[in-house]
Amino acid sequence: MPDMAQSSDTRARFDWTDPAYLERILKRRRAEFWLKVGGVVSISLALGFLALMVSSLTATGYKAFTQTHVTIEVPISAEHVDEADIFGSKWRVVMKEAVAQMFPDLDKAGLKAAAEILSDGAQYMVRDAVIADPSLIGGVLTIDVPVSDPFDQMNKGLVDRTTAEDKRRVDDAQILAFDSLAAAGRISAPLNWGLLTNADSRFPELAGLKGAFIGTGYLLMVCFAIALPVGIGAAIYLEEFAPRNRMSDFIEVNINNLAAVPSVVFGLLALAVFLNWFGLPRGSPLVGGLTLALISLPTIIIATRAALKAVPPSIREAALGVGASRQQVVFHHVLPLAMPGVMTGTILAMAHAIGETAPLLLIGMNAFMTSAAATPLDSATALPTQIFIWADSPERGFVSRTSAAILVLLTILVMMNGLAIWLRRRFERRW
Amino acid sequence: MKDIRMESRVDSTVNKIEARHVQVHYGTTHAIKDVNVDIRDRAVTAFIGPSGCGKSTFLRCLNRMNDTIATCRVEGSIRMEGQDIYDKSVDPVQLRAKVGMVFQKPNPFPKSIYDNVAYGPRIHGMTSSKAELDQIVETSLRRAALWGEVKDRLNAPGTGLSGGQQQRLCIARSIATSPEVLLMDEPCSALDPIATAQVEELIDELRADFSVVIVTHSMQQAARVSQHTAFFHLGSLVEYGQTGQIFTNPKDPRTESYITGKIG
Repeated sequence: MPDMAQSSDTRARFDWTDPAYLERILKRRRAEFWLKVGGVVSISLALGFLALMVSSLTATGYKAFTQTHVTIEVPISAEHVDEADIFGSKWRVVMKEAVAQMFPDLDKAGLKAAAEILSDGAQYMVRDAVIADPSLIGGVLTIDVPVSDPFDQMNKGLVDRTTAEDKRRVDDAQILAFDSLAAAGRISAPLNWGLLTNADSRFPELAGLKGAFIGTGYLLMVCFAIALPVGIGAAIYLEEFAPRNRMSDFIEVNINNLAAVPSVVFGLLALAVFLNWFGLPRGSPLVGGLTLALISLPTIIIATRAALKAVPPSIREAALGVGASRQQVVFHHVLPLAMPGVMTGTILAMAHAIGETAPLLLIGMNAFMTSAAATPLDSATALPTQIFIWADSPERGFVSRTSAAILVLLTILVMMNGLAIWLRRRFERRW
Repeated sequence: MKDIRMESRVDSTVNKIEARHVQVHYGTTHAIKDVNVDIRDRAVTAFIGPSGCGKSTFLRCLNRMNDTIATCRVEGSIRMEGQDIYDKSVDPVQLRAKVGMVFQKPNPFPKSIYDNVAYGPRIHGMTSSKAELDQIVETSLRRAALWGEVKDRLNAPGTGLSGGQQQRLCIARSIATSPEVLLMDEPCSALDPIATAQVEELIDELRADFSVVIVTHSMQQAARVSQHTAFFHLGSLVEYGQTGQIFTNPKDPRTESYITGKIG
C-alpha cells in the first residue's frame, strides 16, 4: 500500500495521433489481412487437391459400377447335363449350343469368335442356376450373364471402333455379332453388384471385392479385439497408476515415437515375429490384425490418455472421498466419462489401420484369392492390398475397377470418420 | 469427564481426532509445521487462515486424501478414537468412508441424484436390498435438507441441480456412508448467499451426529457455525480455542491481525 502512493508516472503523455504510431497500426492490420489470405489460400489448395483426386477417381471409376450383361437362352439338354454329376457335366458344350442358337448364320470359326463375347464365368453361372433348380434339365434357361471384359469396355465406349482391326482386342466380326445382340435388345448394363459380392478373379468382369471386404472385416475385428483392451489398459496404468519418474517419461516418449514409426517397419517386425517365430499362418487376417494392432496401439494409448486426462480431478476426488478404491474410481467414473473420447480415438486409429498396405504386403496378404476367407486363419486380401493387386493387373477392366475399389475404400473411411465425429458430438461433455 | 451427562450434551468435550506433531512436505516444500490439534466429537471445528496457510492440506490429512499425491509426505500422528489413521493396518479406502468429505466446488457424479447418494453404500456393500438402499438415499437426502426438492426426480442427473442443491447433494452423498467425521473444504465458496445460509444451517444440524471440520475463508462463517476455531498461518497452527474466545479475545497477535483484517 505505501509503495503505490509513491509510484507516480513521470512519462510524457502518449500521443495517440502520432503518424508513426498510426503507421504501425496500419502495418498490423495489413499483416492480419495477409495472414487471413494465406489461410484461405492454403485451405482452398487443400480442398482443390481433394476435389481433384475424388473427381479423377470418379471419372475413371464410375464405369466399374455398371457391368454389361447379355441375356441368353441356354438349352439344358439332358444329353450333356447329368443331375447326378452336375460338376462333371459338359457345360462348355452347353454354352456352345446356346451361342450357336443365338447366331444361326455363323460358321464354326465365327461361332468360336462370337462365344468370346460371353464371360468365361458364364458357364458357371448357368451351372449354379441348374444346381439351384434341377428341373431345368431338358428345358431352356434364360439368364443374364456378364459379357467379357473387351466387350464390356466396348459397350462403355472405351474401345474406338475406328482403330485398325489388328490394333484392338475385338475384331470386326465380333463387333458385328455384338451389335446384333444389342439390336435384339439382349445387351443391358445394370448396376454391377458383382463388384461388391464377387471374390477376386482373373477376369475383370467377374472380379469383386467380397474377399477384400471379408479380409478387411477380419483384420479390423482382430485389430480391435487386441488393440482396444491393451491400449486402454496401458493408458489407464500410465495415466492413473504409474509413478511419475524417469521410467514413465521414457515410456511416454517411446509411445509417441512408436506412433511415428513407418508402418512398413511394423510389417517387417510381424514377418519376423508372427510368421517366422510364432509360425502363424502366412497371409492370414489374424497376423494382419495383430500387425495393425501394433500400428494403432500408440494412437489409441495417446487418445485414451488424453481422454482420461480430460476428466476433471473433482470427479476423482469425489469418488475417493466416499471411499472408492483407485480401481473403482477408474472403472466406475473416469473410464465411463472418458469412453466417448476413447472410442473416437480408436475409430480414427482403425480408419488409419484400414488403409495400411505396406505391412500387409510384407506378411503376404496380397495373395490372389478367388474365394473369401472363411476364418481369420485363412489367407485373405484386404481392401488396400486388393487395390494394389488390381492396379498391377494388365487387363483394361481393372483400371476402372481399381478406381472403383479406391472409392469404396474412401467411402468406408469417410463413414468411419463420420462415426467418430458423431460420437464426439453426441457424447461430448462440457464441465 | 466421561459421565453420562457429558456424552449426551451437544458440546462434547470428547476428542474425536487427536493430531500430534503433524508435518507435511510436498516435495521440498514444508507445508504443515508441527501441528497439534484436537477435534471434538459432535462439534463443528473451523480452520481459518489466509490462502496457502495449509488449512486445506491439514484437512486432507484427516482422511488421507493426501496419499493420492505422490510427492506428499505426512509425519507425526493423527489418532481417531485412539487408532493411528496412518498405521499400516488402516485401509485408507475404508477410512475415507468413515471420514466423509465435501469439496469446495460441488462435484456430483454425472449420474442420477439417486445414484450419487447410493454410490457410497453400494461400493461398501452396506445394504442387502433395494428397499434398504432406498431408505438410506431418502434419509441422507432428508438430512441434507434436499429431499423435498428432489424427491420427485431422483432419476434426474445430479449435475442438473443448482449450485446450492448440488452442494447439499454432495453432503448427502458423503453422509450416506454414515461417517463419523465430516470434512468440508470451503463448502460455500462457490455458492450464493442464500445457498450458503442453507448449507450453514445444515452444518449446524449435522453436528448433532457428526464431528464436522470446516475450512473456510469467511471469518463470519467460522463465527456463525463453529464451536472451535483453529487459526493457521504459514503452515503453523497459531491459535486454537473456543470460537468465541478466538474472535473476541485472541491470545496471539497474529490471530488478532488476521481477524481484524491487517494480514491475509
